[in-house]
Amino acid sequence: MTYLIAAYTVMWLITFIFVLSMAIRQRRLAAELEALKARLQERQRYGQ
Amino acid sequence: MERWGVGKIAIFLHGLAGAAVLTALYMALVFAPREAAMGDVQRIFYWHVATAWVGFFAFFITLIASIAYLRTGRRRWDIVALSSVEIGLAFAVIMTVTGSLWAKPVWNTWWTWEPRLTTVAIMLLIYATYLLLRRVIEDPGRRARFAAVYGIAGFVSVPITFMAIRWWRTIHPVIFKSEGFDLSPAMLVALIVSVAAYSLLYVSLLLLRTQLEFLSDEAAELRESLDE
Repeated sequence: MTYLIAAYTVMWLITFIFVLSMAIRQRRLAAELEALKARLQERQRYGQ
Repeated sequence: MERWGVGKIAIFLHGLAGAAVLTALYMALVFAPREAAMGDVQRIFYWHVATAWVGFFAFFITLIASIAYLRTGRRRWDIVALSSVEIGLAFAVIMTVTGSLWAKPVWNTWWTWEPRLTTVAIMLLIYATYLLLRRVIEDPGRRARFAAVYGIAGFVSVPITFMAIRWWRTIHPVIFKSEGFDLSPAMLVALIVSVAAYSLLYVSLLLLRTQLEFLSDEAAELRESLDE
């Protein structure tokens, strides 16, 4: 039973870490995109 | 910029994959009968086989996407190939760890250099190297071409790994035989549900991962236009 629990724990842990790493990267990218778009709009507004 | 994985269909698919995984969990832990010789530890098998199948399938998708990239030069195929390797590698690691946890009570060892385990180790190294090599090539076009060629060549390890238990003498069990499945009907149903659930999870993760790469490209394009 110990091995079964260990196997399922590892399986869920790896899946969770994989999904979490994607979520973190997506959040960072979305924030970066917002900042870049804001900078671009600002530049266009001042005609640079 | 093209994007995949957005909209209601994607959300529906993510939900469906989640529900399927929970159903598969029930099938493996409750529905499937207790195996007489191995006991409850045999229940690892349903997810071990399912993740192995998805890992192999993911690398097959990388092969197809790599060929498509070399033929068309479209970035989207490079993104699919990369995303599929990442997911396939995650599943292959799960397969290896769960296999090792099953082997300890059944074979009395965590690892042995028999044909299947050896070919799995080589396959893992090949695809881990794929990701490492992508990081060291800076030019995007060169990186994508190199990755596509590597993705095609690296796939040779997949059929060898799959066939290792049929070609050589090995202690690894052979479930899928030419004369049928070496499982009771209830166990077979649990296995099919697990494979289907993990396949859905793969598609769901592939959509998320490709979308992430499209976002990354969009950010890179904006950065470039700001630098001009």
